Amino acid sequence: MTNQTVFRPATAPVSPSPKHDQPNVVARFFANQTAVLIIVLIGMVVLFALINPAFFSIGVFGNILVDWAPIALIAIGETFVVISGGIDLSVGSTITISGVVAAFAMQAMTTAGVSDALSIVVGAVVSLLVGLLVGLVNAVLINEAKLVPFIATLATLGAGAGMALVLTKGGPVGGGPPTAINLSVPVLGPFSYPVIVVIVLAVIAGAFLHRARFGRYTFAIGGNQFSAVASGISVKRHILKVYLLSGGLAGLAGMVTYLTLASGSPSSGLGDELNAIAAVVIGGVSLTGGVGRMSGTIIGSLILTTVTSGLIVSNIDPNWNQVVVAILIAAAVTLQTLRGATHRRKS
Amino acid sequence: MSEIPAPTASEYVYEVRDVGKRYGSVVALEDVTLGVRAGEVVGLVGDNGAGKSTLVKILSGVHQSDSGTVLLDGREQLWKSTHQVIEAGIETLYQDNGLAPNLAVAANVFLGRELTVKGPLGRLGFLDKKKMDKLAHEDLEAAGIGVPASERSVSQLSGGQRQAVAIGRAVAWARKVIILDEPTNHLGARQANEVLDVIRAAKAKGLGVIFISHTLPHVLEVTDRIVVLRLGRLVRDAPTSEFDNESLLGTITGLIGAT
Amino acid sequence: MVQHVNRIVAATAVSLSLALVASGCSSGASEPSSTGSSAAAQKPLTITLVVGSSSDPFFQAMKQGATQEAQAEGNVTVKYQGDATTYSPATQIPIVNQILAQSPDGLMLAPTDPVALQASVTRAAASKIPVVLVDSKVNDLSKVTSFITGDNQDGGAKAADALATALGYASGKTYQVAVGLTSATATTNTDRLAGFKAQLAAKYPGIQIVTTGYSQANPKTANSNINNWLTAYPDLAGIFAIDGTNAQGAAAALQAKGLVGKVKLIGYDAYKTNVDLLRQGVFTALVSQQPAEEGKQAVQTLTKYIRSGGSSDGIQAAVTLPNIILTKDTSADDLTKATYVESAS
Repeated sequence: MTNQTVFRPATAPVSPSPKHDQPNVVARFFANQTAVLIIVLIGMVVLFALINPAFFSIGVFGNILVDWAPIALIAIGETFVVISGGIDLSVGSTITISGVVAAFAMQAMTTAGVSDALSIVVGAVVSLLVGLLVGLVNAVLINEAKLVPFIATLATLGAGAGMALVLTKGGPVGGGPPTAINLSVPVLGPFSYPVIVVIVLAVIAGAFLHRARFGRYTFAIGGNQFSAVASGISVKRHILKVYLLSGGLAGLAGMVTYLTLASGSPSSGLGDELNAIAAVVIGGVSLTGGVGRMSGTIIGSLILTTVTSGLIVSNIDPNWNQVVVAILIAAAVTLQTLRGATHRRKS
Repeated sequence: MSEIPAPTASEYVYEVRDVGKRYGSVVALEDVTLGVRAGEVVGLVGDNGAGKSTLVKILSGVHQSDSGTVLLDGREQLWKSTHQVIEAGIETLYQDNGLAPNLAVAANVFLGRELTVKGPLGRLGFLDKKKMDKLAHEDLEAAGIGVPASERSVSQLSGGQRQAVAIGRAVAWARKVIILDEPTNHLGARQANEVLDVIRAAKAKGLGVIFISHTLPHVLEVTDRIVVLRLGRLVRDAPTSEFDNESLLGTITGLIGAT
Repeated sequence: MVQHVNRIVAATAVSLSLALVASGCSSGASEPSSTGSSAAAQKPLTITLVVGSSSDPFFQAMKQGATQEAQAEGNVTVKYQGDATTYSPATQIPIVNQILAQSPDGLMLAPTDPVALQASVTRAAASKIPVVLVDSKVNDLSKVTSFITGDNQDGGAKAADALATALGYASGKTYQVAVGLTSATATTNTDRLAGFKAQLAAKYPGIQIVTTGYSQANPKTANSNINNWLTAYPDLAGIFAIDGTNAQGAAAALQAKGLVGKVKLIGYDAYKTNVDLLRQGVFTALVSQQPAEEGKQAVQTLTKYIRSGGSSDGIQAAVTLPNIILTKDTSADDLTKATYVESAS
C-alpha cells in the first residue's frame, strides 16, 4: 500500500485537534467506564464488609466467584454479540439445555463405569457442542431466514428451555461422576479450577476483542454494517462466528453450572440472559452496537454477583437485588450517554 | 452474447455490458453498457432514480446484476462479493462514505486488509496497530489530509474530514480502477477542488476513474467522457468536449433526446 | 419470555393430552366397564388438573395417581396443565382461565397463591364446574367440593423433630439453623415454615432460625444462597430445605464445602434424587408426602360428586394425608414405595 501514494497537492493539512476530548481530569476519569466500575466494586465490598465483617472473607469471595463464573462466560459472548449489533437472548436456556444433555451423558458414563475424569471431560465437550449447535441455529435464523436477532434468539430460548423440560420431565438429572462436585471447591484462595479457567478465557477474549482482527470486524459490523461490506468483509461469516462463540461459551457455562450443582436441572439457567445483558450494559456496551470494553463486562458481571452475595450475607431482603441492578444499569447508560455527548462534534 | 456492439474488449480496463437489475417490479437498470479505460476519467451522471447508485453497487460487488456481464481487462468476471472486486484492485467510495464511525482512522483505512503481527499471534489475527497507524498517517498526509490523534473514532471528525479519509483510503488502495460516488459531499469549495486534483492525479497514475457527481461543472472540468443515465437506461455516452452545462443538464432531464 | 415458553409447552401439553384422550378412548372401548349401572354413570368425564409447576416431579407423581385412578373409574380423562417451570399465580391464572373457558366437567387445582387464585375458584363455581383443591388452598373454601392436601404444618413440625433428633438436641444449648424456601407466598411453603417454627418454639427453643432465603424455583439461586449462609454463619448446624430446588442446592453446597454430615440437612419431598442422597447420607431426613394419593383421591372425589349429580354425600370437605419421615434407618422397601414416581409418558 505504501507504494501507492498517488498525489501531492499543495494544500496545507487540516489543523490537528487537542490531545484529549475532556476538559479536565475528573471528566477524563469518568470517560473510562472500567475505572469507574472498579471503584464501584471496591466501594460495594467495603460497604458490605461494614455491615457484616463476615463478608470480607475468602469463603464469601469464593462464593462470589463461583456465581460469577457462568455469568462471566455468557457475558463475554454477549459482549461480542451486542457489539456486532445483535443480541443473544438464548444464552440462559442454552446453559440449561447444554447442562442437561451433558448431565445425561455423564450419568450414562458413570453408570457404565467410566472414570470420573473422563466423564467430566466428555461432559464438558458435550456441553460445548450443544452450545455451538444452538449458536449455529441462531446464526442460520439470522443470516438465512433473515430474522432479527431478538426474535431469532427468543425462538431458540423457547426451544432450548422446552427441550430441557421434555428430556428431564422436570426433575434434576443426577447420577454423574461423584467427584465432580470437588471441582467447584476452591484450590487457590477463593479460586476454583473452573473460575481460573474462566479468568483465563476472559483475558483471551479481551485480547481477541481489542487487539485482533476478529474483534475489529465485530466493532465494524456493529458500528456500520455497510462499512464492513464495503471493505470486503464477509458479514454473514462473521455473524456466524459471533453466535457460535456466544453459544459455545453458554455451553461451557452450562458445564460450570453442572459442576456447581453436581446435577443438571431444567431450570438452572433460565433468566440468566438478563444477567448477561445487565453485565454488558453496566460494563459499557451500547445496545445499539459498535461500542464496548471486555474489561467493563468482566467487572460488571463481578459487581452483579457481589451484590447478590452481599445482600444475602448482610441478611438484607434479596429483592433489593433487582433494585440495585436497575440503578447500576441506569447509571451506566447515563454515563455512556454523557460520554458520547462530549465526544460528538458538529459536522 | 456475440452481438455486443462495444469496441474491442481489451480497450476497457473495466466494463459492464447490458447489465440489468430490478427490485421486485421496479426496474433500476436496463441494458446498460459502460466501460472505463486505464488513465481515463468517466463521468457518470443522471437524475435521482436514474440508477447510478445501483450501477455503482454492481460495479463494486455489493449487488449482483440480474443480467449482463462484467469484464475486467476483457475477461468476464463473476463477482459474488465485494472482497473479490477489492482484490482485483477496484476501489469504491460510496455515497455515505462507508466508514465505520466507531473505529479510528487507521482502522478504517485498513478495514478488511489489516496488517497482523508476525508469528503465530499474527496467524490468529492479532493486529499490528502501530504499523497500520504509521502507514495510514503517512499516506493520508501525503494526500494532504492531516489526521488528528489516531485513537479517536472517526465519528469525532467533521463530515469533511471523514470524507477526506474515505477518499484517501480508496485512492491509496486502488490498483486498477477507482469509483467515486459523490466524493464532494460535505466538502466546501476549496476541498472540493482538492478532490478534483485527486482525480487528476489518479488519472495520471494510470487508474481508470469513474466519477459520479451532481455538480455538473465539476464533471465538465475533470472528465474525459460522460455517460448519462436516465430512468435506468443509458441515454448518452460521449466525450466531454461534446457537452456544455446546458446540454448536459438537458440530457440528464430528458429535454434533449437520447442518441 | 415465560409466556412464550408457556405457550409452547401449553400447545405441546394440549396436543399430548389429545393423544392421551385418543388412546384413552381406544383402551376404554376394549375394557369391560367396571362402574355403576345407570347410563349417567358412564358419561365420559374430562377433568383437568392444573398445578403450579408442571415439571415438578411432585405434581408429576400427583398426575400419575390421578391418571391411574381415572382409568380405574372408567370413562374419565385427566388433562394435566401448568406452567412448565414457574410456580407463580401470574403464570397459573391465565392457564386456569383458559381451562375454565373450555368447560371441563371438573377442575382439580393446586393454587399457587391463596388470594390470587380465589377469583378463579369463584368463577369455576359460578360456571357450575366442581372444584377440588389439592396440595395448597385458597382462603375461601365454601365453594370448593373438597380440599385434599398433605399436612404441610405437620410436615414442618416433623421436620423440626427430625432436625432436633439429628442435632442431638440438648436443652440449654443454642443451635443455628437456616431455612430455604422457594416462594414467600405459596401456602405449601408458608405452612411448612409455620409448622417448623411452632414446633421449635414449643419443644426446641434452643434452635434459632438465623436466616431464610428464596430460590424462586431455581436450584442455582438456592445453591448461591446456601453457599453464602455456610460462609456467613460458620456455626450453622442445620438447614431445612422446604422444597426440591433448595434440596438440590443445599446438597451440592454441602458436598462442595465438605460439610456433609456436619450440617444436618432436612429435606421435603421424596424425589428420586433426594432419596438417593438420603441413602448417601447427604440428607439426614426427608419429609415425604403422598402426591399420588392426593391425585387419586381428587379424581375419586370429583368423579363421585359429578356422577352422583352433585351430591356431597360421603364426600369429605377436607382431607389431610399424613406425612412420612424417611431416614437412613427406613427400610429399602419403604423408601422405594415412598419415592415419587416420575411420569413414564
